[in-house]
Amino acid sequence: MTHYQEQLTWLLENSEVNESIRSLRLDAFELFKKLGFPTKKDEDWRFTNFSKIQNGYFRLSRPSDLPNNFESPKLLNDNSYPIVIINGHYQPQLSKIPNGISVFSGSDDFKSNPHSYAIDSNKAYSSKMKNPFYLLNTSLMNSGLCFEIHENIQIEKPIEIFFCTSEIDDTIMNHPRFHFRLNKNSKATIIEHYSGQTKQSYFINTVSNFELEENAHLTHFRFQDESFQSNHTSFSGYSLNKYSNLNCNCLSIGSELYRHNIKVDFTGSNGFARVNGLSLIDSNRHHDLNVIVNHLDNSCTSSQLFKFILSDSSTGVFNGKVIVDKDTFQTNANQTNRNLLLSSSSNMNSNPQLEIHAEDVKCSHGSTTGQIDPEALFYLRSRGISKQRAIELVVEGFAKEVFTNIKDDNIQSRVNQKIGQWLESVSNHDKN
Amino acid sequence: MLIIKDLHASIDDKKILNGINLSIKPGELHAIMGRNGSGKSTLANIITGREDYDIDSGSILFNGKDLLDQSPEDRALDGVFMSFQYPVVIPGVNNTYFLKAALNSKLKHQGLKEINAVDFMSLIREKLKQVDMDEKYLSRAVNDGFSGGEKKRNEILQMLTLEPTLSILDETDSGLDIDALKIVAKGVNDFRNKERSFLAITHYQRLLDYMKPDFIHVLIDGEIVKSGNSELAKELEEKGYSWLEK
Repeated sequence: MTHYQEQLTWLLENSEVNESIRSLRLDAFELFKKLGFPTKKDEDWRFTNFSKIQNGYFRLSRPSDLPNNFESPKLLNDNSYPIVIINGHYQPQLSKIPNGISVFSGSDDFKSNPHSYAIDSNKAYSSKMKNPFYLLNTSLMNSGLCFEIHENIQIEKPIEIFFCTSEIDDTIMNHPRFHFRLNKNSKATIIEHYSGQTKQSYFINTVSNFELEENAHLTHFRFQDESFQSNHTSFSGYSLNKYSNLNCNCLSIGSELYRHNIKVDFTGSNGFARVNGLSLIDSNRHHDLNVIVNHLDNSCTSSQLFKFILSDSSTGVFNGKVIVDKDTFQTNANQTNRNLLLSSSSNMNSNPQLEIHAEDVKCSHGSTTGQIDPEALFYLRSRGISKQRAIELVVEGFAKEVFTNIKDDNIQSRVNQKIGQWLESVSNHDKN
Repeated sequence: MLIIKDLHASIDDKKILNGINLSIKPGELHAIMGRNGSGKSTLANIITGREDYDIDSGSILFNGKDLLDQSPEDRALDGVFMSFQYPVVIPGVNNTYFLKAALNSKLKHQGLKEINAVDFMSLIREKLKQVDMDEKYLSRAVNDGFSGGEKKRNEILQMLTLEPTLSILDETDSGLDIDALKIVAKGVNDFRNKERSFLAITHYQRLLDYMKPDFIHVLIDGEIVKSGNSELAKELEEKGYSWLEK
């Protein structure tokens, strides 16, 4: 805690002097201290040990941490508008911003809308969220951008935020804050791509908030491909106004310790949200996913499909909650969590929950955890396919099913390639 | 082609097969009939290589090779095929991809060149016609969202594509309406020739009306208690199985 306090002091001394930002940071840090790092006693956090972050000595990234030369980024989609951020520092010369959107810095966003940041801190502290990492992000935010997609603008090509931690000698941390506002009738595909290229340990703590105005359509792909020595905590919040549409897919492969909070709020009627995710975990890594979908208005549909594939002695946690507010009607919600254990020493904790306070609802949820279906293996082998190949096919099929709704062929094929590479690396573990 | 000698098998110490003797020559179609639990499906699964069973004694020779030593995939590559009673759904695995992988595995085993995508599609379209199956089933995951009848057609489609020398049809008639049964039976009949052998497992004579067997065997409590020609099926239809019980 003292260490993070020192980092805040350093940041306040070394960043733009603005009294209201200063007090926002200090207030958030006070609330963060009150909550403290999560412990086993905190219901929503209890399966994850955060001592590596709590006791680690991560210092905020500085401009001097930029590498002298940097290879062109390996984007998830080569066809994207790249927004490149290296070690927390935005690289406009490597980035390209399409017409019809405005991009501005976090402090400019704050200055135009200081109240919403203060409200966010209080929400993060409230008993409903109790998210200390959100507050830590607010007090230490040192990176990130705000995007506003103008009314009636439809951007065909994806915008890819490539957030990379390069090869570096020190243990650094970054607290990027992203804010995306999709105005009425706008449409965009946004890729959040976290990439790590260092063997050094580091800490990334992100907050990304997406505001979808009436009839806005967002396709969001979040790709967590951090180095294996990293710690990554993150919050993705979506507020969906009436008739808006969210299609979100998350693929998480990297990080030794990974925690992702997803929060979807239907703030208007007739919204649609599909949120899917796949975690691929091996060695002794830990991925923890917490999803909350709040049906606060009528006639909204939400669908979730989350899968984990666990190898070696990895561990996974899935906590999913669908809340249907009282006095709402015609809610349609389903939530599915399926987990595949590739080894006997891997472990999964799954806790899907429904909290329904209304009558007119159609909700379903389910969770399964198991090993590869021996029937499927026998079926494939009885057609002359080798055992090894049959395992690959079944696991690959299990993984790819999460992303069948991705319409962008470039993303689809890169995702399949990433899944294939991971499976290959894991099957090599077995041979060694 | 297939010689089964005094085969005894059990699962979890429960005896299921009690000394099966059966010999199938090239070009022959044998039918095995019997009640539920008589051991019919166990026999089919043991020939195909399912690992859930303990082989207590006996042997299965296929073209002179000991089949019991081989993995399911090696048996398939040598020409053994089973149309499953309950075809398995494999989520996320595309049906075309699966069929092509299976065929290429076989071609590779035979020392032949793998088939390219274009040739494969024209081959598979021709086979689809034979089982009157819509092309849309190719783009789905294996058996995913298929009706009972569609699953069985998909099994026969695989048989026609992989061209096995021994085809075991495990209750292929179950879950089929009469039209689908006729199509499936025609698919099998057109596929019959003097090199290919068949072992059809069924409860009912119905299937045998459309697929003329050379021999019929009645299985009771894991033993073949009676063998005969197609007349035997009619007798069973009239009298049931009880007159054959000890």
